[in-house]
Amino acid sequence: MLEQTTVHTTHTNTYPDVVGALEAAPEARATTMPATLSTIRHWMVISAALFVILALLGICMRLIQGDVLPGEQSWFYPLMTLHGDGMAGLWFVAAMACATEALRKHVRASNAVAVFALAGTVVGVALLLVSVLVGRFAAGWYFLYPLPLHGEWPAWSAVTFLLSLTVLGATWLIWSLDMLRAVAERYSLPHALGWHYLRGESEPAIPPAVIIVTVSMIVNVVALVAGVVTLVLFYFQLLTGSPVDALLMKNLTFLFGHTLVNLAMYLALAAVYDALPAYAGRPWKANKIVAISWNSVLLIVLLAYFHHLYMDFVQPGTLQYIGQIASYAASLPAAIVTIFGALLLVYHAPMRWTLASVLFFLGLMGWAIGGIGAVIDSTIVANVRLHNTLWVPAHFHTYMLAGFAMIAGYFYHCGRRSADVDLAAESVGAYQAVILNWLVAGACGFLAMFYLGGAYSVPRRYAVYPVELAHGTAYALWAGAFAAVFLIAAVLCLIEVMASWRKEAAVGEERPAGHPTPIGAPAAAHADH
Amino acid sequence: MRTTSGRRVGAACVLALLAAAAGAQADPSVAVSRAEGRLLHRRVPDVPLHLADGRTVPLSSLWQDKPLLVTFFYRNCHGICSPFLAWIRNAVREDDGLGRNYRILALSFGEQDTVADMRSQGEALGIDDPDWLFAIADREALARVIEALEFWYRPDPATGQYDHTALLVAVEDGRVKRALVGGAGFAERFPVMARELRGEFIRSYAVPAQTAWRCFSFDPVTGRVSVDWGLLILQTAWRCFSFDPVTGRVSVDWGLLILGLPTLTAMTVTFGIFRRGPRRR
Ligand code: HEM
Repeated sequence: MLEQTTVHTTHTNTYPDVVGALEAAPEARATTMPATLSTIRHWMVISAALFVILALLGICMRLIQGDVLPGEQSWFYPLMTLHGDGMAGLWFVAAMACATEALRKHVRASNAVAVFALAGTVVGVALLLVSVLVGRFAAGWYFLYPLPLHGEWPAWSAVTFLLSLTVLGATWLIWSLDMLRAVAERYSLPHALGWHYLRGESEPAIPPAVIIVTVSMIVNVVALVAGVVTLVLFYFQLLTGSPVDALLMKNLTFLFGHTLVNLAMYLALAAVYDALPAYAGRPWKANKIVAISWNSVLLIVLLAYFHHLYMDFVQPGTLQYIGQIASYAASLPAAIVTIFGALLLVYHAPMRWTLASVLFFLGLMGWAIGGIGAVIDSTIVANVRLHNTLWVPAHFHTYMLAGFAMIAGYFYHCGRRSADVDLAAESVGAYQAVILNWLVAGACGFLAMFYLGGAYSVPRRYAVYPVELAHGTAYALWAGAFAAVFLIAAVLCLIEVMASWRKEAAVGEERPAGHPTPIGAPAAAHADH
Repeated sequence: MRTTSGRRVGAACVLALLAAAAGAQADPSVAVSRAEGRLLHRRVPDVPLHLADGRTVPLSSLWQDKPLLVTFFYRNCHGICSPFLAWIRNAVREDDGLGRNYRILALSFGEQDTVADMRSQGEALGIDDPDWLFAIADREALARVIEALEFWYRPDPATGQYDHTALLVAVEDGRVKRALVGGAGFAERFPVMARELRGEFIRSYAVPAQTAWRCFSFDPVTGRVSVDWGLLILQTAWRCFSFDPVTGRVSVDWGLLILGLPTLTAMTVTFGIFRRGPRRR
């Protein structure tokens, strides 16, 4: 039996938990609908476990590069493939899970699909593990054609890898389509995309999370269909022996891979849009600018991937310029609007700094920093120097770690809400503040080593650095140490996140209004509620 | 009205561009075959050669200061040898690079051929250039070169002739830099090879008829890039238009950019899903 809840299309449920929402509420039109099954807790457990394991693999790689594990060098590339694919996939599903949860109070997704998404992901990951750990498949996370078919690994491991991607791709495609269907059940397409804001109308109030998820799901279909075409062409060559065009494959692969990881960030942002207002004590409403920015993402995000092909001289020059322009443009709507939007939300707000809101803020900060690294790298003149150096993992690790911060924050937020605690009564305790400081310190050190390596031309994807690149070995060693600090802090943080679901868990101390929290902001929330 | 005609003009321009691009489709004859690809970077054995002028020199001495073009023939051939050598002579004259950019060795694989036959072959072709050499080699030495360059030949007892392929190999510093196997398309391909021997960077060689759905074709002779079918599979900013050959009318189907299969699918799916409008408030 499904739980029955009453839902109103009002400011109150559009911006729940938000001070002032109640007063702004017009007369409610009540309907009854069954709430969608929440799978967020399962996703949290899976994500936390996989994150720790995959991060451990990352540390192993850094130690191999640092010459500390000389006997394990032959494992570098299988580990790199598992780590890369695992993390990218995990990031996507965790962000999807958060976005689905954020939309649960607005739209009704299918329970069957929610369970199917979990099961399909588990099967896909199992196939990936077999391919890499048993078959030692090692073509890297984006399995660039024709490498999977020409490696030293057995053919079956390449096929298992492709099958794993097929299962994951099909599962996620169905999941995305169901999200779109759920949105379509409640909103018309122009409303879901916020087009009425462009006409200057402010009703109906559409939560920004709905706009972001709608845009992301449409683009997601493009990415996943591109992935399907890529896989079909791989199978075509496997079956007929007739090779396909390498340039086409590279375009398709990055249209799939680049777009998918971009969307993971957008989905995590949808969750932040949903939850941050609860701590800022004011709504984060959609408006004309939000609508324009997220609608422009629809096109821009599909064109930015061209920056992966700067070194492919056979790619027509026009597309290279489009790639650079789109990469710059991509940072304007989503990044600038969202980051400034978040800053404006927090500025002079009665902000409640809990583990969730601090993680959201750190996540947005990391996104901004990693984004600058990405924009530098997508500038053609700079890319000539930085292409395939450690600068690339430097920038994407920055915003991917940032993405995980947002996701962990959202899990924590869901935990506290499900434990039915008064969010207004919470703040970051001293213990959590210490963990957060170590987390940031570890991450900064680990990332700095990547950036330094990139700036000093250390190539990426080298299991062992030759003597000419001895500085790369030193950076790797330091990075390994910083990453270990980061991981210990991350595990402690994840324990806090898991514990947040326990009803009796009391986090932070109650403080009188205006008293500074360890993070330094006034915990004025009490005054508002 | 103006919008429609404006669209038509736009579409016609796109059509013209695409037609021009299609005209510049890479010539398959400039392609590199698998057999040729296999030879690339192969080391050529250094064996002694007996030249037409009576000298005996190591093969390596011929590629020391400039690249060497090697071809095979036999004096008594009634088939391709003489036309092929004549063709190389003409192509080389046209290119005007002999002696400056490369030297040529025509190596005989005929068992009966002598140094005198080498001289007469040169005379028959009207070739008298110190950088164009005719030579024979001892059987064992010849076998090593022939094996390294995968030159195929077989005596035919019925005619007393040899069945064999035509081969022209460019060797630089003892390694194969480029090879042309079989006679087809030599006229177009030799100039490209000569440019490469001059040190020019040839951006790509097509792989003929082995590639399905490529995105763009690149013609190494003209340096032009043209659009190919793969592009339709891919999302790209290309216009979708239809052309009616009877009326000559060009019309824009979607009016805007077509964004290829994935994007079209996503659009169709999105509109399909949202078609019925909201069912719940
Ligand atoms: C403690 C955390 C982490 C550590 C120590 C770590 C370490 C590494 C290392 C050493 C590499 C190979 C760099 C090279 O090319 O030389 C790598 C690659 C990669 N990492 Fe991480 N990483 C961590 C977290 C993450 C996260 C959170 C994500 C994504 C959400 C991620 C995604 C990737 C991807 C996609 C690659 C590229 C793999 C490839 O080139 O095929 N990593 N990581």
